[in-house]
Amino acid sequence: MLIKFRNALLSLLGVVAVWWAVAASGWINPELFPTPYAVWQAAVELYQEGLLLSDLRISLARAAVGFAIGSTLGVAVGLLTARTRLFSLALNPFLSLLRPIPAIALVPLAIVWFGIGEPSKFFVISYTVFLAVWLNTHHGMEHIAITYIRASRCLGTTRLREFFEVVIPAAAPHIVAGLRMGAALAFLSLVAAELTGASAGIGFRLQEARQFIRTDRMFVGLIELGLLGALLDLVFVMLSRKLVHWEHL
Amino acid sequence: MSTAVDHPADGVGRVELDAVSMRFRSPKGKEVIALAPTSLALAPGSFSALLGPSGCGKSTLLNAIAGFVDPGSGTIKVDGKTVRGPDPDVGVMFQQYALFPWFTAIGNVQFAMNRFGLARAERRRQALAALEEVGLADRADTYPGQLSGGMKQRVALARTLAGKPKVLLMDEPFGALDAQTRTSMHELLLGIWDRHRTTVLFVTHDVDEGLLLSDCVHVMSANPGTIIESIRVDAARPRSVRTVDERFIANRNRIMQLLSRTPGPEPVVPAQAGTK
Repeated sequence: MLIKFRNALLSLLGVVAVWWAVAASGWINPELFPTPYAVWQAAVELYQEGLLLSDLRISLARAAVGFAIGSTLGVAVGLLTARTRLFSLALNPFLSLLRPIPAIALVPLAIVWFGIGEPSKFFVISYTVFLAVWLNTHHGMEHIAITYIRASRCLGTTRLREFFEVVIPAAAPHIVAGLRMGAALAFLSLVAAELTGASAGIGFRLQEARQFIRTDRMFVGLIELGLLGALLDLVFVMLSRKLVHWEHL
Repeated sequence: MSTAVDHPADGVGRVELDAVSMRFRSPKGKEVIALAPTSLALAPGSFSALLGPSGCGKSTLLNAIAGFVDPGSGTIKVDGKTVRGPDPDVGVMFQQYALFPWFTAIGNVQFAMNRFGLARAERRRQALAALEEVGLADRADTYPGQLSGGMKQRVALARTLAGKPKVLLMDEPFGALDAQTRTSMHELLLGIWDRHRTTVLFVTHDVDEGLLLSDCVHVMSANPGTIIESIRVDAARPRSVRTVDERFIANRNRIMQLLSRTPGPEPVVPAQAGTK
Protein backbone atom coordinates (compact mmCIF):
# COMPACT_ATOMS: atom_id res chain seq x y z
CA MET A 1 0.00 0.00 0.00
CA LEU A 2 2.78 2.39 0.99
CA ILE A 3 4.85 1.39 -2.03
CA LYS A 4 1.85 1.90 -4.31
CA PHE A 5 1.34 5.35 -2.84
CA ARG A 6 5.00 6.22 -3.28
CA ASN A 7 4.98 5.06 -6.91
CA ALA A 8 1.85 7.08 -7.64
CA LEU A 9 3.42 10.15 -6.10
CA LEU A 10 6.65 9.65 -8.07
CA SER A 11 4.79 9.24 -11.33
CA LEU A 12 2.74 12.40 -10.69
CA LEU A 13 5.89 14.38 -9.83
CA GLY A 14 7.50 13.11 -13.02
CA VAL A 15 4.58 14.26 -15.15
CA VAL A 16 4.57 17.69 -13.51
CA ALA A 17 8.32 17.98 -14.07
CA VAL A 18 8.02 17.21 -17.79
CA TRP A 19 5.05 19.58 -18.08
CA TRP A 20 7.01 22.32 -16.39
CA ALA A 21 10.08 21.77 -18.57
CA VAL A 22 8.01 21.93 -21.76
CA ALA A 23 5.99 24.99 -20.63
CA ALA A 24 9.07 26.88 -19.41
CA SER A 25 11.14 26.13 -22.50
CA GLY A 26 9.33 28.84 -24.46
CA TRP A 27 8.47 26.57 -27.43
CA ILE A 28 4.80 27.06 -26.78
CA ASN A 29 2.91 30.28 -26.16
CA PRO A 30 2.36 30.40 -22.36
CA GLU A 31 -1.12 31.81 -23.02
CA LEU A 32 -2.02 28.45 -24.53
CA PHE A 33 0.04 26.18 -22.33
CA PRO A 34 0.56 27.56 -18.83
CA THR A 35 3.25 26.36 -16.41
CA PRO A 36 2.24 24.32 -13.35
CA TYR A 37 3.00 27.37 -11.25
CA ALA A 38 0.62 29.57 -13.27
CA VAL A 39 -2.08 26.91 -12.82
CA TRP A 40 -1.41 26.82 -9.10
CA GLN A 41 -1.76 30.62 -8.98
CA ALA A 42 -5.04 30.40 -10.89
CA ALA A 43 -6.29 27.83 -8.37
CA VAL A 44 -5.33 30.11 -5.47
CA GLU A 45 -7.07 33.02 -7.17
CA LEU A 46 -10.24 30.95 -7.69
CA TYR A 47 -10.09 29.87 -4.08
CA GLN A 48 -9.73 33.47 -2.86
CA GLU A 49 -12.71 34.52 -5.00
CA GLY A 50 -14.64 31.73 -3.26
CA LEU A 51 -15.35 30.08 -6.59
CA LEU A 52 -13.19 27.00 -6.21
CA LEU A 53 -15.11 25.57 -3.27
CA SER A 54 -18.56 26.73 -4.35
CA ASP A 55 -18.07 25.25 -7.84
CA LEU A 56 -16.87 22.04 -6.27
CA ARG A 57 -19.85 21.91 -3.94
CA ILE A 58 -22.36 22.61 -6.69
CA SER A 59 -20.86 20.12 -9.13
CA LEU A 60 -20.55 17.41 -6.50
CA ALA A 61 -24.16 17.93 -5.48
CA ARG A 62 -25.31 17.58 -9.10
CA ALA A 63 -23.24 14.44 -9.63
CA ALA A 64 -24.46 12.99 -6.33
CA VAL A 65 -28.16 13.62 -7.02
CA GLY A 66 -27.83 12.35 -10.59
CA PHE A 67 -25.97 9.27 -9.40
CA ALA A 68 -28.48 8.57 -6.64
CA ILE A 69 -31.47 8.76 -9.00
CA GLY A 70 -29.77 6.91 -11.85
CA SER A 71 -28.31 4.10 -9.78
CA THR A 72 -31.46 3.48 -7.72
CA LEU A 73 -33.56 3.25 -10.86
CA GLY A 74 -30.86 1.24 -12.63
CA VAL A 75 -30.65 -1.44 -9.94
CA ALA A 76 -34.44 -1.62 -9.53
CA VAL A 77 -35.13 -1.86 -13.26
CA GLY A 78 -32.24 -4.27 -13.77
CA LEU A 79 -33.59 -6.66 -11.12
CA LEU A 80 -36.99 -6.47 -12.80
CA THR A 81 -35.96 -6.84 -16.42
CA ALA A 82 -33.70 -9.81 -15.79
CA ARG A 83 -36.52 -11.61 -14.01
CA THR A 84 -39.03 -11.02 -16.77
CA ARG A 85 -38.48 -12.86 -20.00
CA LEU A 86 -40.61 -10.43 -21.99
CA PHE A 87 -38.52 -7.48 -20.85
CA SER A 88 -35.30 -9.25 -21.74
CA LEU A 89 -36.51 -9.95 -25.26
CA ALA A 90 -38.12 -6.59 -25.91
CA LEU A 91 -35.45 -4.38 -24.44
CA ASN A 92 -32.19 -5.74 -25.75
CA PRO A 93 -32.51 -4.32 -29.30
CA PHE A 94 -33.73 -1.01 -27.90
CA LEU A 95 -30.74 -0.85 -25.59
CA SER A 96 -28.33 -1.30 -28.46
CA LEU A 97 -29.73 1.95 -29.85
CA LEU A 98 -29.61 3.86 -26.56
CA ARG A 99 -26.11 2.90 -25.54
CA PRO A 100 -24.13 4.75 -28.22
CA ILE A 101 -25.88 8.08 -27.54
CA PRO A 102 -23.37 10.33 -25.75
CA ALA A 103 -24.57 12.38 -22.79
CA ILE A 104 -23.80 15.66 -24.52
CA ALA A 105 -26.28 14.85 -27.29
CA LEU A 106 -29.04 14.82 -24.70
CA VAL A 107 -28.42 18.40 -23.64
CA PRO A 108 -30.71 20.13 -26.15
CA LEU A 109 -33.54 17.75 -25.33
CA ALA A 110 -32.95 18.18 -21.60
CA ILE A 111 -33.21 21.97 -21.95
CA VAL A 112 -36.48 21.74 -23.88
CA TRP A 113 -37.95 19.25 -21.44
CA PHE A 114 -36.67 20.58 -18.15
CA GLY A 115 -35.52 24.14 -18.79
CA ILE A 116 -32.13 25.45 -17.75
CA GLY A 117 -32.52 24.83 -14.01
CA GLU A 118 -31.15 21.95 -11.95
CA PRO A 119 -33.66 19.32 -13.21
CA SER A 120 -32.13 19.26 -16.70
CA LYS A 121 -28.69 18.60 -15.17
CA PHE A 122 -30.07 15.82 -12.99
CA PHE A 123 -31.73 14.36 -16.06
CA VAL A 124 -28.56 14.19 -18.16
CA ILE A 125 -26.46 12.74 -15.34
CA SER A 126 -29.01 10.30 -14.01
CA TYR A 127 -29.83 9.01 -17.49
CA THR A 128 -26.18 8.20 -18.18
CA VAL A 129 -25.74 6.54 -14.78
CA PHE A 130 -29.02 4.68 -15.11
CA LEU A 131 -28.07 3.07 -18.41
CA ALA A 132 -24.74 1.73 -17.11
CA VAL A 133 -26.14 0.48 -13.81
CA TRP A 134 -29.17 -1.08 -15.45
CA LEU A 135 -27.09 -2.96 -18.03
CA ASN A 136 -24.67 -4.31 -15.44
CA THR A 137 -27.41 -5.34 -13.04
CA HIS A 138 -29.35 -7.04 -15.83
CA HIS A 139 -26.23 -8.82 -17.03
CA GLY A 140 -25.25 -9.90 -13.51
CA MET A 141 -28.70 -11.30 -12.86
CA GLU A 142 -28.70 -13.22 -16.12
CA HIS A 143 -25.38 -14.88 -15.42
CA ILE A 144 -26.01 -16.34 -11.98
CA ALA A 145 -24.55 -19.85 -11.80
CA ILE A 146 -27.38 -22.37 -12.08
CA THR A 147 -25.76 -24.43 -9.31
CA TYR A 148 -26.49 -21.70 -6.76
CA ILE A 149 -30.16 -21.69 -7.68
CA ARG A 150 -30.35 -25.47 -7.68
CA ALA A 151 -28.56 -25.71 -4.35
CA SER A 152 -31.03 -23.22 -2.90
CA ARG A 153 -34.10 -24.94 -4.35
CA CYS A 154 -33.21 -28.44 -3.18
CA LEU A 155 -32.86 -27.08 0.34
CA GLY A 156 -36.50 -26.03 0.27
CA THR A 157 -35.79 -22.29 0.28
CA THR A 158 -38.70 -19.93 -0.26
CA ARG A 159 -38.53 -17.75 -3.38
CA LEU A 160 -38.41 -14.57 -1.33
CA ARG A 161 -35.46 -15.75 0.74
CA GLU A 162 -33.77 -17.10 -2.39
CA PHE A 163 -34.07 -13.68 -4.01
CA PHE A 164 -32.47 -11.82 -1.12
CA GLU A 165 -29.94 -14.40 0.09
CA VAL A 166 -28.90 -16.08 -3.15
CA VAL A 167 -29.89 -14.13 -6.26
CA ILE A 168 -28.87 -10.66 -5.10
CA PRO A 169 -25.52 -11.69 -3.54
CA ALA A 170 -24.74 -13.77 -6.65
CA ALA A 171 -25.38 -10.75 -8.87
CA ALA A 172 -23.76 -8.30 -6.45
CA PRO A 173 -20.26 -8.28 -8.01
CA HIS A 174 -21.80 -7.17 -11.32
CA ILE A 175 -24.07 -4.65 -9.63
CA VAL A 176 -21.18 -3.11 -7.71
CA ALA A 177 -19.11 -2.97 -10.93
CA GLY A 178 -22.06 -1.19 -12.54
CA LEU A 179 -22.23 1.33 -9.70
CA ARG A 180 -18.52 1.99 -10.03
CA MET A 181 -18.90 2.60 -13.74
CA GLY A 182 -21.96 4.74 -13.06
CA ALA A 183 -20.01 6.91 -10.63
CA ALA A 184 -17.32 7.50 -13.24
CA LEU A 185 -19.98 8.32 -15.82
CA ALA A 186 -21.66 10.76 -13.44
CA PHE A 187 -18.50 12.85 -13.65
CA LEU A 188 -18.15 12.46 -17.38
CA SER A 189 -21.72 13.59 -17.97
CA LEU A 190 -21.47 16.34 -15.36
CA VAL A 191 -19.55 18.60 -17.71
CA ALA A 192 -22.07 17.95 -20.49
CA ALA A 193 -24.90 18.66 -18.05
CA GLU A 194 -23.39 21.96 -17.03
CA LEU A 195 -23.59 23.11 -20.62
CA THR A 196 -27.35 23.43 -20.10
CA GLY A 197 -27.05 27.07 -19.10
CA ALA A 198 -25.40 26.71 -15.73
CA SER A 199 -24.09 29.69 -13.82
CA ALA A 200 -21.75 27.78 -11.53
CA GLY A 201 -19.94 24.46 -11.31
CA ILE A 202 -16.70 23.07 -12.65
CA GLY A 203 -18.10 22.58 -16.15
CA PHE A 204 -19.44 26.11 -16.23
CA ARG A 205 -16.11 27.51 -15.03
CA LEU A 206 -14.36 25.72 -17.92
CA GLN A 207 -16.76 27.33 -20.39
CA GLU A 208 -16.30 30.72 -18.80
CA ALA A 209 -12.52 30.39 -18.94
CA ARG A 210 -12.76 29.74 -22.67
CA GLN A 211 -14.44 33.12 -23.22
CA PHE A 212 -11.55 34.86 -21.49
CA ILE A 213 -8.93 32.52 -22.93
CA ARG A 214 -7.80 31.66 -19.38
CA THR A 215 -6.05 28.35 -20.08
CA ASP A 216 -4.65 28.39 -16.55
CA ARG A 217 -8.20 28.27 -15.13
CA MET A 218 -9.13 25.54 -17.61
CA PHE A 219 -6.23 23.45 -16.33
CA VAL A 220 -7.50 23.97 -12.78
CA GLY A 221 -10.90 22.61 -13.80
CA LEU A 222 -9.45 19.66 -15.68
CA ILE A 223 -7.20 18.71 -12.79
CA GLU A 224 -10.14 18.98 -10.39
CA LEU A 225 -12.17 16.60 -12.54
CA GLY A 226 -9.28 14.17 -12.75
CA LEU A 227 -8.63 14.20 -9.02
CA LEU A 228 -12.31 13.86 -8.13
CA GLY A 229 -12.76 10.97 -10.54
CA ALA A 230 -9.70 9.12 -9.24
CA LEU A 231 -10.73 9.71 -5.63
CA LEU A 232 -14.24 8.50 -6.27
CA ASP A 233 -12.96 5.36 -7.96
CA LEU A 234 -10.77 4.66 -4.95
CA VAL A 235 -13.80 5.00 -2.70
CA PHE A 236 -15.64 2.48 -4.86
CA VAL A 237 -12.78 0.02 -4.83
CA MET A 238 -12.78 0.17 -1.04
CA LEU A 239 -16.56 -0.08 -0.91
CA SER A 240 -16.57 -3.15 -3.13
CA ARG A 241 -13.97 -4.81 -0.87
CA LYS A 242 -16.55 -4.48 1.89
CA LEU A 243 -19.73 -5.19 -0.06
CA VAL A 244 -18.55 -8.17 -2.11
CA HIS A 245 -15.70 -9.22 0.15
CA TRP A 246 -15.84 -12.84 -1.06
CA GLU A 247 -14.74 -11.72 -4.53
CA HIS A 248 -11.49 -10.41 -3.09
CA LEU A 249 -10.47 -13.43 -1.01
CA MET B 1 -19.96 -38.90 17.82
CA SER B 2 -22.35 -36.85 19.84
CA THR B 3 -24.41 -35.53 16.96
CA ALA B 4 -28.05 -36.34 16.64
CA VAL B 5 -28.49 -39.55 14.71
CA ASP B 6 -31.37 -39.33 12.31
CA HIS B 7 -32.20 -42.79 11.17
CA PRO B 8 -35.16 -42.23 8.91
CA ALA B 9 -38.03 -44.48 9.84
CA ASP B 10 -37.92 -47.82 8.05
CA GLY B 11 -38.87 -47.63 4.45
CA VAL B 12 -38.22 -43.93 4.08
CA GLY B 13 -36.08 -42.82 1.17
CA ARG B 14 -37.26 -45.23 -1.48
CA VAL B 15 -36.56 -44.12 -5.04
CA GLU B 16 -38.31 -45.66 -8.04
CA LEU B 17 -37.66 -44.83 -11.67
CA ASP B 18 -39.94 -46.36 -14.24
CA ALA B 19 -38.92 -46.18 -17.91
CA VAL B 20 -37.53 -42.67 -17.59
CA SER B 21 -36.21 -41.28 -20.83
CA MET B 22 -35.05 -37.86 -21.87
CA ARG B 23 -34.42 -36.27 -25.21
CA PHE B 24 -33.65 -32.78 -26.33
CA ARG B 25 -33.14 -30.95 -29.58
CA SER B 26 -29.62 -30.05 -30.59
CA PRO B 27 -29.06 -26.51 -31.90
CA LYS B 28 -29.18 -27.98 -35.42
CA GLY B 29 -32.67 -29.28 -34.73
CA LYS B 30 -31.65 -32.92 -34.51
CA GLU B 31 -33.22 -34.93 -31.75
CA VAL B 32 -30.66 -36.20 -29.27
CA ILE B 33 -31.44 -38.91 -26.77
CA ALA B 34 -29.86 -38.03 -23.46
CA LEU B 35 -31.32 -41.03 -21.71
CA ALA B 36 -32.94 -44.10 -23.21
CA PRO B 37 -35.79 -45.62 -21.13
CA THR B 38 -34.21 -46.50 -17.81
CA SER B 39 -35.69 -48.14 -14.73
CA LEU B 40 -34.05 -48.18 -11.36
CA ALA B 41 -35.08 -48.85 -7.78
CA LEU B 42 -33.14 -47.72 -4.73
CA ALA B 43 -34.05 -49.39 -1.44
CA PRO B 44 -34.38 -47.17 1.63
CA GLY B 45 -31.00 -46.62 3.26
CA SER B 46 -29.03 -48.23 0.44
CA PHE B 47 -25.87 -46.87 -1.14
CA SER B 48 -25.76 -47.13 -4.92
CA ALA B 49 -23.33 -45.90 -7.51
CA LEU B 50 -24.14 -44.78 -11.02
CA LEU B 51 -21.09 -45.44 -13.13
CA GLY B 52 -20.39 -44.75 -16.76
CA PRO B 53 -18.35 -42.86 -19.32
CA SER B 54 -18.89 -39.13 -19.71
CA GLY B 55 -21.87 -38.35 -21.85
CA CYS B 56 -23.78 -41.47 -20.82
CA GLY B 57 -26.49 -39.44 -19.13
CA LYS B 58 -25.66 -40.24 -15.52
CA SER B 59 -25.78 -36.60 -14.45
CA THR B 60 -28.95 -36.12 -16.48
CA LEU B 61 -30.54 -39.00 -14.60
CA LEU B 62 -29.47 -37.51 -11.28
CA ASN B 63 -30.81 -34.08 -12.26
CA ALA B 64 -34.13 -35.68 -13.12
CA ILE B 65 -34.36 -37.39 -9.71
CA ALA B 66 -33.46 -34.08 -8.06
CA GLY B 67 -36.31 -32.42 -9.95
CA PHE B 68 -34.02 -29.98 -11.77
CA VAL B 69 -35.11 -31.23 -15.19
CA ASP B 70 -38.35 -32.85 -16.30
CA PRO B 71 -38.11 -36.37 -17.62
CA GLY B 72 -39.53 -36.55 -21.13
CA SER B 73 -41.40 -39.75 -20.31
CA GLY B 74 -41.64 -42.26 -17.51
CA THR B 75 -42.12 -41.55 -13.82
CA ILE B 76 -39.82 -40.85 -10.91
CA LYS B 77 -41.12 -41.44 -7.41
CA VAL B 78 -39.59 -40.79 -4.02
CA ASP B 79 -41.47 -42.62 -1.27
CA GLY B 80 -44.36 -43.05 -3.64
CA LYS B 81 -44.60 -39.34 -4.42
CA THR B 82 -43.97 -38.31 -8.01
CA VAL B 83 -41.07 -35.87 -8.36
CA ARG B 84 -42.28 -32.58 -9.84
CA GLY B 85 -39.46 -30.26 -8.86
CA PRO B 86 -36.70 -29.80 -6.30
CA ASP B 87 -37.74 -30.99 -2.86
CA PRO B 88 -35.89 -30.82 0.46
CA ASP B 89 -36.51 -34.56 0.89
CA VAL B 90 -33.99 -35.06 -1.88
CA GLY B 91 -30.64 -33.48 -1.05
CA VAL B 92 -28.02 -32.88 -3.71
CA MET B 93 -24.29 -32.51 -3.41
CA PHE B 94 -22.73 -31.01 -6.51
CA GLN B 95 -19.50 -31.65 -8.33
CA GLN B 96 -18.57 -28.03 -8.38
CA TYR B 97 -18.52 -26.29 -5.08
CA ALA B 98 -22.02 -24.95 -4.75
CA LEU B 99 -21.33 -23.32 -1.42
CA PHE B 100 -22.44 -19.71 -1.25
CA PRO B 101 -19.22 -17.71 -1.05
CA TRP B 102 -21.02 -14.79 0.65
CA PHE B 103 -21.87 -16.93 3.69
CA THR B 104 -19.39 -18.41 6.16
CA ALA B 105 -19.15 -22.18 6.55
CA ILE B 106 -21.70 -22.14 9.35
CA GLY B 107 -23.82 -19.61 7.43
CA ASN B 108 -24.05 -22.09 4.58
CA VAL B 109 -25.12 -24.87 6.93
CA GLN B 110 -27.67 -22.63 8.63
CA PHE B 111 -29.09 -21.69 5.25
CA ALA B 112 -30.08 -25.33 4.81
CA MET B 113 -31.97 -25.24 8.12
CA ASN B 114 -34.15 -22.23 7.39
CA ARG B 115 -37.17 -24.35 6.63
CA PHE B 116 -37.23 -25.81 10.14
CA GLY B 117 -37.99 -22.44 11.70
CA LEU B 118 -35.65 -22.94 14.65
CA ALA B 119 -34.72 -20.29 17.18
CA ARG B 120 -31.45 -18.58 16.34
CA ALA B 121 -29.37 -20.15 19.12
CA GLU B 122 -30.73 -23.63 18.48
CA ARG B 123 -30.09 -23.29 14.76
CA ARG B 124 -26.49 -22.31 15.39
CA ARG B 125 -26.03 -25.17 17.85
CA GLN B 126 -27.29 -27.72 15.34
CA ALA B 127 -25.25 -26.20 12.51
CA LEU B 128 -22.13 -26.42 14.65
CA ALA B 129 -22.93 -30.06 15.37
CA ALA B 130 -23.23 -30.70 11.62
CA LEU B 131 -19.83 -29.07 11.05
CA GLU B 132 -18.44 -31.09 13.97
CA GLU B 133 -19.53 -34.25 12.21
CA VAL B 134 -17.40 -33.39 9.16
CA GLY B 135 -14.55 -32.25 11.41
CA LEU B 136 -14.77 -28.56 10.63
CA ALA B 137 -16.33 -27.03 13.74
CA ASP B 138 -13.19 -24.95 14.23
CA ARG B 139 -13.62 -23.36 10.77
CA ALA B 140 -17.25 -22.39 11.31
CA ASP B 141 -16.70 -18.68 10.74
CA THR B 142 -14.42 -19.09 7.72
CA TYR B 143 -15.59 -18.12 4.25
CA PRO B 144 -15.48 -20.84 1.56
CA GLY B 145 -12.89 -18.84 -0.39
CA GLN B 146 -10.43 -19.48 2.44
CA LEU B 147 -11.04 -23.25 2.56
CA SER B 148 -9.28 -25.97 0.57
CA GLY B 149 -11.20 -28.03 -2.00
CA GLY B 150 -11.63 -30.96 0.40
CA MET B 151 -12.83 -28.69 3.20
CA LYS B 152 -15.34 -27.03 0.89
CA GLN B 153 -16.81 -30.40 0.01
CA ARG B 154 -16.99 -31.33 3.68
CA VAL B 155 -18.94 -28.14 4.38
CA ALA B 156 -21.13 -28.91 1.36
CA LEU B 157 -21.80 -32.36 2.81
CA ALA B 158 -22.64 -30.86 6.20
CA ARG B 159 -24.98 -28.37 4.51
CA THR B 160 -26.77 -31.04 2.51
CA LEU B 161 -27.21 -33.24 5.57
CA ALA B 162 -28.42 -30.32 7.69
CA GLY B 163 -31.47 -30.16 5.42
CA LYS B 164 -32.31 -33.67 6.65
CA PRO B 165 -32.91 -35.22 3.23
CA LYS B 166 -34.25 -38.76 2.92
CA VAL B 167 -32.34 -39.27 -0.30
CA LEU B 168 -28.85 -37.95 -0.97
CA LEU B 169 -27.79 -37.49 -4.58
CA MET B 170 -24.09 -36.93 -5.16
CA ASP B 171 -22.81 -35.82 -8.56
CA GLU B 172 -19.11 -36.75 -8.72
CA PRO B 173 -18.59 -34.78 -5.53
CA PHE B 174 -14.95 -35.74 -5.08
CA GLY B 175 -13.94 -35.63 -8.74
CA ALA B 176 -11.84 -32.50 -8.35
CA LEU B 177 -9.94 -33.67 -5.25
CA ASP B 178 -6.51 -35.27 -5.06
CA ALA B 179 -6.28 -38.99 -4.32
CA GLN B 180 -5.39 -38.66 -0.66
CA THR B 181 -8.13 -36.15 0.13
CA ARG B 182 -10.54 -38.35 -1.79
CA THR B 183 -9.75 -41.38 0.33
CA SER B 184 -10.37 -39.46 3.55
CA MET B 185 -13.63 -38.12 2.07
CA HIS B 186 -14.71 -41.69 1.28
CA GLU B 187 -14.15 -42.74 4.87
CA LEU B 188 -15.95 -39.67 6.17
CA LEU B 189 -18.90 -40.23 3.85
CA LEU B 190 -19.23 -43.91 4.76
CA GLY B 191 -19.11 -43.06 8.45
CA ILE B 192 -21.85 -40.47 8.05
CA TRP B 193 -23.95 -42.72 5.89
CA ASP B 194 -23.63 -45.48 8.47
CA ARG B 195 -25.03 -43.16 11.14
CA HIS B 196 -27.77 -41.47 9.10
CA ARG B 197 -28.70 -44.28 6.70
CA THR B 198 -29.93 -41.87 4.09
CA THR B 199 -30.47 -43.46 0.70
CA VAL B 200 -27.45 -42.45 -1.39
CA LEU B 201 -27.05 -42.35 -5.15
CA PHE B 202 -23.46 -41.57 -6.03
CA VAL B 203 -22.54 -40.63 -9.59
CA THR B 204 -18.95 -41.37 -10.58
CA HIS B 205 -16.79 -42.41 -13.49
CA ASP B 206 -14.25 -43.99 -11.14
CA VAL B 207 -14.73 -47.77 -10.96
CA ASP B 208 -12.84 -48.22 -7.69
CA GLU B 209 -14.74 -45.40 -6.03
CA GLY B 210 -18.04 -46.98 -7.02
CA LEU B 211 -17.04 -50.44 -5.80
CA LEU B 212 -15.58 -49.17 -2.55
CA LEU B 213 -18.62 -47.16 -1.51
CA SER B 214 -21.70 -48.94 -2.77
CA ASP B 215 -23.99 -51.88 -2.19
CA CYS B 216 -24.77 -51.87 -5.85
CA VAL B 217 -23.04 -50.39 -8.90
CA HIS B 218 -25.28 -49.53 -11.84
CA VAL B 219 -23.20 -49.44 -14.99
CA MET B 220 -24.36 -47.16 -17.76
CA SER B 221 -23.52 -47.10 -21.44
CA ALA B 222 -23.45 -44.16 -23.79
CA ASN B 223 -25.39 -44.17 -27.07
CA PRO B 224 -27.93 -44.91 -25.90
CA GLY B 225 -27.45 -43.71 -22.33
CA THR B 226 -29.02 -46.29 -20.08
CA ILE B 227 -28.20 -48.79 -17.33
CA ILE B 228 -26.84 -51.97 -18.90
CA GLU B 229 -26.01 -53.98 -15.81
CA SER B 230 -26.30 -53.69 -12.05
CA ILE B 231 -23.59 -55.34 -10.00
CA ARG B 232 -24.16 -56.20 -6.36
CA VAL B 233 -21.25 -55.64 -4.02
CA ASP B 234 -21.54 -57.70 -0.84
CA ALA B 235 -18.13 -56.98 0.65
CA ALA B 236 -18.39 -56.50 4.41
CA ARG B 237 -18.36 -53.00 5.86
CA PRO B 238 -16.56 -51.01 7.01
CA ARG B 239 -14.52 -51.04 3.85
CA SER B 240 -11.41 -49.18 2.88
CA VAL B 241 -8.92 -49.15 0.04
CA ARG B 242 -6.95 -51.68 2.06
CA THR B 243 -9.67 -54.33 1.89
CA VAL B 244 -9.35 -55.07 -1.83
CA ASP B 245 -9.89 -58.79 -2.34
CA GLU B 246 -10.47 -61.22 -5.22
CA ARG B 247 -14.17 -60.44 -5.42
CA PHE B 248 -13.37 -56.76 -5.73
CA ILE B 249 -10.98 -57.51 -8.59
CA ALA B 250 -13.53 -59.72 -10.30
CA ASN B 251 -16.18 -57.00 -10.06
CA ARG B 252 -13.77 -54.44 -11.36
CA ASN B 253 -12.85 -56.63 -14.33
CA ARG B 254 -16.50 -57.18 -15.11
CA ILE B 255 -17.21 -53.44 -15.06
CA MET B 256 -14.15 -52.68 -17.16
CA GLN B 257 -15.39 -55.20 -19.68
CA LEU B 258 -18.82 -53.57 -19.78
CA LEU B 259 -17.35 -50.11 -20.15
CA SER B 260 -15.00 -51.10 -22.95
CA ARG B 261 -17.89 -52.73 -24.80
CA THR B 262 -19.88 -49.53 -24.94
CA PRO B 263 -18.92 -47.35 -27.84
CA GLY B 264 -17.67 -43.89 -27.07
CA PRO B 265 -19.73 -40.86 -28.03
CA GLU B 266 -20.34 -41.03 -31.76
CA PRO B 267 -22.69 -39.19 -34.05
CA VAL B 268 -25.03 -42.08 -34.80
CA VAL B 269 -28.56 -43.06 -35.64
CA PRO B 270 -30.77 -41.97 -32.78
CA ALA B 271 -33.66 -43.71 -34.55
CA GLN B 272 -32.38 -47.15 -33.55
CA ALA B 273 -31.23 -46.00 -30.17
CA GLY B 274 -34.71 -45.04 -29.11
CA THR B 275 -36.34 -48.37 -29.88
CA LYS B 276 -34.84 -50.58 -27.23
